[in-house]
Amino acid sequence: MGVRGTGPPEGWEAPKERWLSTVVRPAFGPRSLLLEVAARLLIPAILMLSVFLLVSGHDRPGGGFAGGLVASMAYVLRYIAGGRHELAAGLPMRPNGLLALGLLLACATAGLPLLFGKPVLDTAKLELVLPVFGEVKLLSALVFEVGVFLVVVGLVLSVVAALGARMEAEEAEARQEQEIDQARRERRRLRAEKEGHE
Amino acid sequence: MLPFLIAIHAAVAVLVPPLTRVMGARAFLVASLPLAASAVWALSAAPAIVGGRPAAASVPWVPSLGISLDFRVDALSLAMILLVSGIGAVIFCYSAGYFRDDERALGRLASVLVVFAGSMLGVVTADNLFALYVFWELTSVSSFLLVGHDDRKENARRAATQALVTTAGFGLPMLVGFIILGTIGGTYRISELVAAPPLDSPWLPLALILILAGAFAKSAQVPLHYWLPGAMVAPTPVSGYLHAAAMVKGGVYLIARLSPGFAEVEPWRWLVLGFGLATMLIGGWRALRQDDLKLLLAFGTVSQLGFLTLLAGAGTHTAAAALIAMLLAHGLFKATLFLTVGIIDHQTGIRSISGLSGLGRRMPVLAAAAGLAAASMAGLPPLLGFVGKEAALEAFVPGHAPGVPAAASVAVLIGLVAASVLTFAYSARFLWGAFADKPTVSERRFPLPSAAFTAAPVLLSGAGLVLGAAPFLADPLAAAYAAGYPHEKPYHLALWHGLTPALGLSVLVVALGVLMFVGRSAVARFQKAVPRSPEADLGYHLFVHSSYAAALSVTRRLQTGSLPVYLGIILATLLALPGVRLLVALVRGDLALPTGDESFRLWDNPLELVVAVTLVVTAVATVREHRRFPALIIISALGFGTAGLFVLHGAPDLALTLVLVETLTTIILVFVLRRLPATFHTRPNGWGKRMTVLMCTAAGTFIAVTLWLATAARTAPPVSGGYAEHAEGAGGGNLVNVILADFRALDTFGEIVVLATAAVAVASLVLLNRRDRVVNEPEEDEPAEDEQGRDEPGPDGQGAGEPLPAGGVGQPAGGAQTEGRR
Repeated sequence: MGVRGTGPPEGWEAPKERWLSTVVRPAFGPRSLLLEVAARLLIPAILMLSVFLLVSGHDRPGGGFAGGLVASMAYVLRYIAGGRHELAAGLPMRPNGLLALGLLLACATAGLPLLFGKPVLDTAKLELVLPVFGEVKLLSALVFEVGVFLVVVGLVLSVVAALGARMEAEEAEARQEQEIDQARRERRRLRAEKEGHE
Repeated sequence: MLPFLIAIHAAVAVLVPPLTRVMGARAFLVASLPLAASAVWALSAAPAIVGGRPAAASVPWVPSLGISLDFRVDALSLAMILLVSGIGAVIFCYSAGYFRDDERALGRLASVLVVFAGSMLGVVTADNLFALYVFWELTSVSSFLLVGHDDRKENARRAATQALVTTAGFGLPMLVGFIILGTIGGTYRISELVAAPPLDSPWLPLALILILAGAFAKSAQVPLHYWLPGAMVAPTPVSGYLHAAAMVKGGVYLIARLSPGFAEVEPWRWLVLGFGLATMLIGGWRALRQDDLKLLLAFGTVSQLGFLTLLAGAGTHTAAAALIAMLLAHGLFKATLFLTVGIIDHQTGIRSISGLSGLGRRMPVLAAAAGLAAASMAGLPPLLGFVGKEAALEAFVPGHAPGVPAAASVAVLIGLVAASVLTFAYSARFLWGAFADKPTVSERRFPLPSAAFTAAPVLLSGAGLVLGAAPFLADPLAAAYAAGYPHEKPYHLALWHGLTPALGLSVLVVALGVLMFVGRSAVARFQKAVPRSPEADLGYHLFVHSSYAAALSVTRRLQTGSLPVYLGIILATLLALPGVRLLVALVRGDLALPTGDESFRLWDNPLELVVAVTLVVTAVATVREHRRFPALIIISALGFGTAGLFVLHGAPDLALTLVLVETLTTIILVFVLRRLPATFHTRPNGWGKRMTVLMCTAAGTFIAVTLWLATAARTAPPVSGGYAEHAEGAGGGNLVNVILADFRALDTFGEIVVLATAAVAVASLVLLNRRDRVVNEPEEDEPAEDEQGRDEPGPDGQGAGEPLPAGGVGQPAGGAQTEGRR
């Protein structure tokens, strides 16, 4: 302690915040600084890309399904880099909520046209000229695509939660139980020794 | 007016539960209002209806399927409304005194009772087969809830299930019968069908048999009668209402409703007379053997239901008049007797014949009311039961019944007399058992019931006396219903018809009945000596258990749990059926190989060759690899290679999606691989593996050849022909996406529903596995410490507020370090 150059950086050199938002316990193996940095830098970009794919899908490759897969990649990256607590901290809502919201949106786009006497899932179109974006075309199919997007993200996240995070939690729990067992055995041994002395 | 009355029932059913919280059991008085209103409406409309102008109403429901809520009230419906709503209202008022204010789930009970009353009203007034069916099943479901009222008792739950399975289970064939009948008749309106029955259709007998099956189950005919005594676990007012006045009469009502049109169709009369007689005799015989007063009444009801079924289905003028009289009489006397048992049970706490003594002296009014009701049940003058039984006997005197062969009517008559003797005997036994002084039984001390509580049975029993002493009050109703049958001289209900054979038979019945009651100990000894026939209940249990066993064994065989076996079976089926067929077609030359433009060509673009070689190499490498992780990586490479093929063929959407899916599945499989052994279990080059490789190669080849042949074998123009033009109209430049989100959006919608289901299923499967583990854990000797140390994730595995494990205990070294830095 006190010797410069051996401890963690101090003063202005000390980092103000962590790379990821929680205490990092990666899902696999030891921590990787490179992975954490990459995750932090890439995740916003990946999420932006997913939204781009979602919106541009009607005219170019992409769409709700592809966009949803890309967005879930961002979360999977976050999970791999930071472990299950990091994944939990980054989620906007629980995967079941995402599934429900997605289905609800899809149902609404399917059902709303009925109220106006149109067939199920009929598409409505709205073209606008916005100041910065120029000519913008809004389709009700986009809402449907958002539903698909959310369902896909919900699906991947529940699978990751079930197969990744939960297994990890179980392993941690098993480790813990082992250690508790060990501690208990240790205490019994000490108690037995003490009684032996008396 | 009728739809409105039913709607009031529904509204009151919603309002009653909160009311019970405020008023306690007195909420039943409010609940009785819709029933009373229906009864009053029925009485006010009675003159017109009896005069031959049925009240009708119609509400369209599903016009495209010919389903509408048609209502029609004629004399038969009127009699049933008086039973359902009139007696129902009295029983509801009685319930206000019967239930304690702190009875468990009182609100639910009251609400479901009102729902039941409303649906029963619907059953007896509906004029559309589908509407009738819906109300019919509503009564079954509400009866399930009422019988299982005390849902903490296993026998109540079991009896409720049994009643539901029997009545609703036989309701399904009845629905099939309804559909056949409606199809061959060209209409689903009951009144039109009965007026112009499709007599020449060969399907008619089948339809009638199916409908009768449903009616027999509902009205507890042998051998489906077992559910009715079982359902006696319900609270007594419920039994008195459902199982005496209302629900069990549903089957009788349906038979009586269809009988004017269909009684002459071949198997109808034999079925109705045969099952009715058997039910009468078996019910009466078993009623004599019961010690529990309520069970005695239950078996008595079974017997009476057989009697009513027989009258309803006989299809003669006199039997029809007798049916109306007996319907009213049975409703009145059986409800009285049930309510009497309810009072006895409520005050003394028991209802067993061997435990009651001296009640007649303590409760003379109740005893008198019950005595009148029992006399009506036994068929003594001047009560309504006597009037009805006279008419019934008259209906089957040989020669008086047109359409029924003489031999059959003699047989029915003998059966009727025998069953009436049994009825007399158990009626007498009921009175004696409930109220007599028995020297061998010690008297119990109990509080006397209040006058208001006793009023209900007295009222009902008095009504039976009035209608019996003045049969001209009920006669117009009976005459109006019976007028639907061919007759020479109309039959009228009366106490005195002169010295007829029927009167002689009545005297005989009374004489034999008295003998049987006087010699009751001899009868009991005889009943004990006769070997018991196997109970019908056993048949039900055998059926239920064999369905369980069959389901289990099928599941065990199909769900072995081995993924390779599942896949193997699927692939083997694929090769054995369509595969062999394709091979045969190719060998015999039935299939023309594609020629010209669509014939086989090596590549469109030489790059495809490169990708194809990569694919082949990775595929072979995957098969040869026996470590799991490398195999996973190689097979992912195979997937990316396939995506490359899509790119070369100009399908960027497909390629993009495939690349993303491949990436994700690879990552997720890596998660799973942590739990699996490092290498595959099969021996690297054993026979098992060779067979697998062979089968998969064959299946792959089959698919490839089929695709090649199928694309070339197109005969109709492709459906996607106009898609490109339409896509512009739909506002999208990406055709694939427009198809997914617009043209075929319903398919996509179905797919995302499947995705969501799969997501929930995966999560719950893993959760299930975990619960199992937790349950099987042995008890820890230091629970406090154990709880603190455990890191329990929420049900979804990652609740945002999940606490971090308490520091120190078993944390990985890395975690502790990070904490330190914070």
